[in-house]
Amino acid sequence: MLAAIKESSIEVWDHRDLLEQLTLRDIKLRYKQAAMGFMWAVFMPCLIVLSGLIIRYAMARLSGTTLVRADIANIAVKGVGWAFFVGALGFATASLVGNSNLVTKIYFPREVLPLSSVAAQSFDTAIGLVTLVVILPFLGVVGHVSMLWVPLLLVLLVLFTTAASLFLSCANLFFRDVKYIVQIVLMFGIFFTPIFFEPSMLGTRGAHLAMLNPLTGILEGMRLSIVNGHNLMYPLTTLVHGVETPVWEPWELVYSAVCAVGGMIGATAMFRKLQPLFAEFI
Amino acid sequence: MTDIAVEIDSLWKKFRRGERQDSLRDLIPAAVRRTLSGPRPSGELREDDFWALRDVSFAVERGTALGVIGHNGAGKSTLLKILTRLLQPTSGSYVTRGRIGALIEVTAGFHQDLTGRENVFLNGAILGMRKADIAKRFDAIVEFSGIGEFIDTPVKRYSSGMNARLGFSIAAHLEPEILIVDEVLSVGDYTFQGKCIRWMQNVLKNGTTVIFVSHNMDAVLALCNSAILLNHGRVAAQGELATVVAEYYKTGGHWAPKVMDNPTVTTISFSSNLGHDVVVPPGEQLTFAHTFTAAETIDLTPGFFIRRGDRMVTDTSYARMLGHPLRLRAGETTTLRWSLSMNLPAGIYEVGCHIEDIKGGYHDYSNKACVVTVGDDPRVKGDSYVGLKLEEGCID
Repeated sequence: MLAAIKESSIEVWDHRDLLEQLTLRDIKLRYKQAAMGFMWAVFMPCLIVLSGLIIRYAMARLSGTTLVRADIANIAVKGVGWAFFVGALGFATASLVGNSNLVTKIYFPREVLPLSSVAAQSFDTAIGLVTLVVILPFLGVVGHVSMLWVPLLLVLLVLFTTAASLFLSCANLFFRDVKYIVQIVLMFGIFFTPIFFEPSMLGTRGAHLAMLNPLTGILEGMRLSIVNGHNLMYPLTTLVHGVETPVWEPWELVYSAVCAVGGMIGATAMFRKLQPLFAEFI
Repeated sequence: MTDIAVEIDSLWKKFRRGERQDSLRDLIPAAVRRTLSGPRPSGELREDDFWALRDVSFAVERGTALGVIGHNGAGKSTLLKILTRLLQPTSGSYVTRGRIGALIEVTAGFHQDLTGRENVFLNGAILGMRKADIAKRFDAIVEFSGIGEFIDTPVKRYSSGMNARLGFSIAAHLEPEILIVDEVLSVGDYTFQGKCIRWMQNVLKNGTTVIFVSHNMDAVLALCNSAILLNHGRVAAQGELATVVAEYYKTGGHWAPKVMDNPTVTTISFSSNLGHDVVVPPGEQLTFAHTFTAAETIDLTPGFFIRRGDRMVTDTSYARMLGHPLRLRAGETTTLRWSLSMNLPAGIYEVGCHIEDIKGGYHDYSNKACVVTVGDDPRVKGDSYVGLKLEEGCID
């Protein structure tokens, strides 16, 4: 397994110019002949925030509370992260099959195809993040030391997304309906990942179940460290109907990190093992 | 010590015929069914499997060119795909010593919405070139392709010839140590093809090892040092160029009329006075004897032809020569003699016979053909051999 990962890393590094060219191609094609131009990059996060606001507004009305600026900031932070995950997986899943003319004709490490999809999506997300930095102060967010957690969380998000991309692109090559399964899972995944809500709203047991989603630790970690200024080293609880309910537990971070790194190792090894069969089975 | 650049040892490749289960929806029920019906012996050739390559072995010395020839479906592309790491052999091994560059479907990496310039960088990277190298060779690539001012136009506006020319030009600037070429010299117009051939000759001169797949025997003869003939995945012939190409012609590979279902006339033998496969100097006088027998009384017009690859050099028949058909009685055997001078340029020629009845039905077509290799006359060049001489006392 280690040999496979080493071989994969060396080959991808040798083909870094190809990775760059393919990423550039994906970005150019996204913005060439596109009416929305760079608006495209913030379109999806904006939609996520808007739909989140509608849901939170309804929830606030029913419970007799009001929507505060921090709620918007929470959804915006997690929305950008979720948009990255969904966008990257959407493009990456189809990346091998969509480039079948290359896969069957020319040899190069095939990892670069899903990797370039993730990289192109990272470009969009970078625009989203810059927008976020501009907007957040207006939503009452101030600088905290805890924001130092953000780079680590972003790395984990990229790693986890890349692992899923490698796995799904490969699976879609062998089984064409994987693409549709991914579409459906991503469509409803937003309800299984705490984007519009916080795990604590589900009660203690519900919160722990929600934390089993590897994205929970990453996205919740982002909003807590950015909006709440919470140091992720320490647990955080809140009172829901007089019951102390977990908001954050440090093991979430460890769990997400294990999923991201372990997923990366497993997916790379699997991809390497199956790669020689690609041209034959595509 | 000889320096071997490519070495292939007993390569086998199995493919599966028919559709493969390629969706989970089909796979899951099938997997359940398989589990219930018990395991299947593995490793054997199932009924829907077939061998695309069977026990193929060869070696290519550094700096030489090997022609890989064979009819459609003979396994040539499978062989190249294994050498370029696209496919894995079922068994056997191969070694390639040196950086491999492949000229196979040179426009595969193009994206239609990107400009020629962008595609040069993209396709170059796909072929394994570094960005800096592409930038350095960019002008040369554009120059070679003849795309000129259209380089900043999206390639979707290019003609198919322009597309192919640009694709070839990028690949041509790879500078690999081992070059694998699959039938790409036929891109572009006449001028560009000439450019490609000259480029190939140059590449060979610079010591690159070349594996060349083509149906164009003239190109194979002009560029290669040795050849290998594949037939249904097996090596049918290998080694000396002329012998292998001759073998290729003998196994068919071009148009042939449909022979009737119940022929009543059959060829017994067809050969020249020098034998079946002969090597002659240009201008040599040859006689071909064609012996055939008829099962019933019939009016025939036996024919004679010379082909070079897909080109018919000459073709005639008894009736066309003499103005009347040849009557054979039931059970009669006869021998026809054709004589000619091989006034042909150097090359490999297939000499064959056919037997038609006067209603136009083919009883036989060249299934016992001869192959005549005409050698070079170093004194003359050109497309035709006319036996040019200087008369004695030609100087007045």
